[in-house]
Amino acid sequence: MTMISVRDLRKTFPIKKHAGGFVGSLASLFRSEYEGEFEAVKGISFNIERGEMVGYIGPNGAGKSTTIKMLTGILVPTSGEATVAGMVPWETRKQLALKIGVVFGQRTQLWWDLALIESLELLKYMYRVPDDRFQHNLNTATELLGLEEFLRTPVRQLSLGQRMRGDLTAALLHDPEILYLDEPTIGLDIVAKAAIRDFLSELNRARQTTVLLTTHDLDDIEQLCPRIMVIDHGDVMYDGGLSDLKQRWGGRRQLIVDFASEPDVAISELTNGNLEVISIDGPRATIAFDRDSLSAPEVLSRAGAYGDIRDMSLQEPDIEDVIKRMYAGKIPAGV
Amino acid sequence: MAYRSSFLLQIFANFLINTAEVLALFAMFYQFDSMGGWTLGEVALLHGMSMIAFSLGDMLTIGMDYVAPQIRSGEFDRVLTRPLSSWMNAVTSEINLRHLGQLIQGFLVLTFAFTQVNIDWSVTKVLMLIGAILTGVALFMALFTVEAIFSFWTVNGVEAINAFTYGGSDLAQFPMHVFGRTLRVLFIWIIPVAFVTYYPALYLLDKPDPLGMPGWFVLLGPVITAVFCGVVAWGWNQGIRHYRSTGS
Amino acid sequence: MRMYYELAKRSFQQQFAYRAATLAGLFTNSVFGVMLSSVYLALYWDKPENASVGGFTAEQAVTYTWIGQALIMPVIFWGWWLIIDTIRSGAVVMDMLKPMDYFRYWLSRDLGRGAAQVITRGIPTLIIGSILFDLVWPESWQRWVAFLISVPFAVTVSFCLRFMFNLWGFWLLDHRGISSLVILVTGVFSGHLLPINWYPPAIRDFINVLPFRSMMMTPVEIWLGQVSIARGLAMQVFWSAVMIGCCYLVLHFAERKVVVQGG
Repeated sequence: MTMISVRDLRKTFPIKKHAGGFVGSLASLFRSEYEGEFEAVKGISFNIERGEMVGYIGPNGAGKSTTIKMLTGILVPTSGEATVAGMVPWETRKQLALKIGVVFGQRTQLWWDLALIESLELLKYMYRVPDDRFQHNLNTATELLGLEEFLRTPVRQLSLGQRMRGDLTAALLHDPEILYLDEPTIGLDIVAKAAIRDFLSELNRARQTTVLLTTHDLDDIEQLCPRIMVIDHGDVMYDGGLSDLKQRWGGRRQLIVDFASEPDVAISELTNGNLEVISIDGPRATIAFDRDSLSAPEVLSRAGAYGDIRDMSLQEPDIEDVIKRMYAGKIPAGV
Repeated sequence: MAYRSSFLLQIFANFLINTAEVLALFAMFYQFDSMGGWTLGEVALLHGMSMIAFSLGDMLTIGMDYVAPQIRSGEFDRVLTRPLSSWMNAVTSEINLRHLGQLIQGFLVLTFAFTQVNIDWSVTKVLMLIGAILTGVALFMALFTVEAIFSFWTVNGVEAINAFTYGGSDLAQFPMHVFGRTLRVLFIWIIPVAFVTYYPALYLLDKPDPLGMPGWFVLLGPVITAVFCGVVAWGWNQGIRHYRSTGS
Repeated sequence: MRMYYELAKRSFQQQFAYRAATLAGLFTNSVFGVMLSSVYLALYWDKPENASVGGFTAEQAVTYTWIGQALIMPVIFWGWWLIIDTIRSGAVVMDMLKPMDYFRYWLSRDLGRGAAQVITRGIPTLIIGSILFDLVWPESWQRWVAFLISVPFAVTVSFCLRFMFNLWGFWLLDHRGISSLVILVTGVFSGHLLPINWYPPAIRDFINVLPFRSMMMTPVEIWLGQVSIARGLAMQVFWSAVMIGCCYLVLHFAERKVVVQGG
């Protein structure tokens, strides 16, 4: 069953003009003028089936949030069609709200001055959640996300990770069919990230909740989303499996090797088809290599031939890098 | 350009807000002939002097408004590292002429007052007017400093000081003898607002003090104001010391 | 309905958290109350005892002052920009995602806040005023009740005005201009600055046909017996309804702007 269906969805925004001069700013008290427009989303199309977990990724300003805002019904598209849970979102915003849950990592739907539990109770009335469902969902979240210790703390005093766990609980109180997550792990520590990811997998498994997730964190995608969509400049550039994407565009990991002293310059000769010495800076060498054909210890042992290794660190390719490479057109987009 | 027009806009807005005060004055005298025996022109004289002193004092100490947020955000440390006295640093951390609107209005009201009352001008009277306004500027600057001083210790309840800053400037707009004993003692002897408008106005208008103070009493104004400023300066230094020892 | 009640209840409870601010505010209200009472009394010095000027005896004028000070926090007569803050910070997006009526959401919160401030600020201010000055009290228990009913309507009209100013500010680049306009409009037109009857007839008649007097003047008249209970409350109900209608109209356009321009 298709939960989200999008056809040629487009959104342009007018750009405001700042009037100059005293008269201009007096006039701006009463009206604003516009100059030109900006195309945030350029006619995208996709389908998401029930129970899918889809990563929606792209650099800042790529059009991710705009898409999500249209799919929640807050924004009306300039043109195109979409249905979410069988409804046209911007025509039935309030009805749709009962079927979706939304978490924006940078914002909160909780009330700053209220204790977390008070906020959750308010949402219970707002979404008309029956008492037994509320208790059940609250207990589940308390157990899996460890809410107990800060349930009675005012939201303004919560740490980012605690607040995010609270927001996630809030978004799921009414058993939504679809969950939109915008950067749910941004700024969180490893423990909080892991808790949230486990919770989401469990939710998806147990309830078949459809999840659309935007993130900068490749680990989020890796652990949660079998399918990803890459968007940039308002266009979908890739729609498919994660492993496929990595193989094609994000396959290179970087090994940073610190030698005891400057390594033999001949180290640059290591460069071949699946390995590249990117830079040598004093005693530090940065080596990029293909994750599928080479292992890190292998690269390390090869580098060891050129000097005495003191330290090393391994960097996984991040999604920004993948998209940058994709956008630079090193490998043709499209599947 | 954008900056300048937004600046003009602020002055305009400030002018608008203070229109209400002036409006209320005229409306009161539309219904009534006098206030505690004083005419519209005489009360307008008090209004004009108070508005000028208050707006100048406020503009010169805008920086004090930022002390509390600076303490909370930790930026106050930076203020202390500059090679000036801590008070000068705090004051000069922000220059804002937003109360220019009130200043303009003060001058307009004062001009109106001069057309309504007969003042037998002399050199000493001109000096008295200038001296009164300067005393007032110093007093209001000190009062705005008090507000900042409290924020070295607490963030709660600082708005009670409004009763003395805004309350003081409002009170100075009316003849002192209409107020009860408590307010009079407070605003003559402790926060000497009465010397900004009331006693100088008595001198300008050649009126005897209905409260029975001799003519030379007005000369005590700068003295009491100086004492008040001294206490505030002491309080400021205590605040700085407290901040340095606790860092909060 | 339950949800709006719960919202109001929580706003109400929240107000009791700020004890130091409440005490400081009470002090400031009282100082201003004493000051303004003295000024008004001085206007009557050369009038015969019990003289009524513009419908107010000296005692009534003093009572008016203290009711005004008591209503400052519950009703709010100046700029209030909580909604515009949520629009500027983008938090409004989270509110739009909720299955609720946006206007009723804010109104119920404001009524809860107002009710709490009647208790923490309004009643104590009146008690202080009655200790320091001779106040005129409502002449019957019906008037007491009518006054208590008139306060939530005053808050409603005030809220509608603030709500519309917030949404209007949303269209503009800079809301400082209208912010000073709000202070002027609410101060003068509500009757908070001066009893409306004291203005020259042309101004007075103009203000009397506007909704804003429901915020302050009508409750005062109900208290002092200057208007019949039925007429006073009917005016407030009428103006509340009109103002609420206007709010929905403005909200409709504001929502359209948000959905088209993204705020």
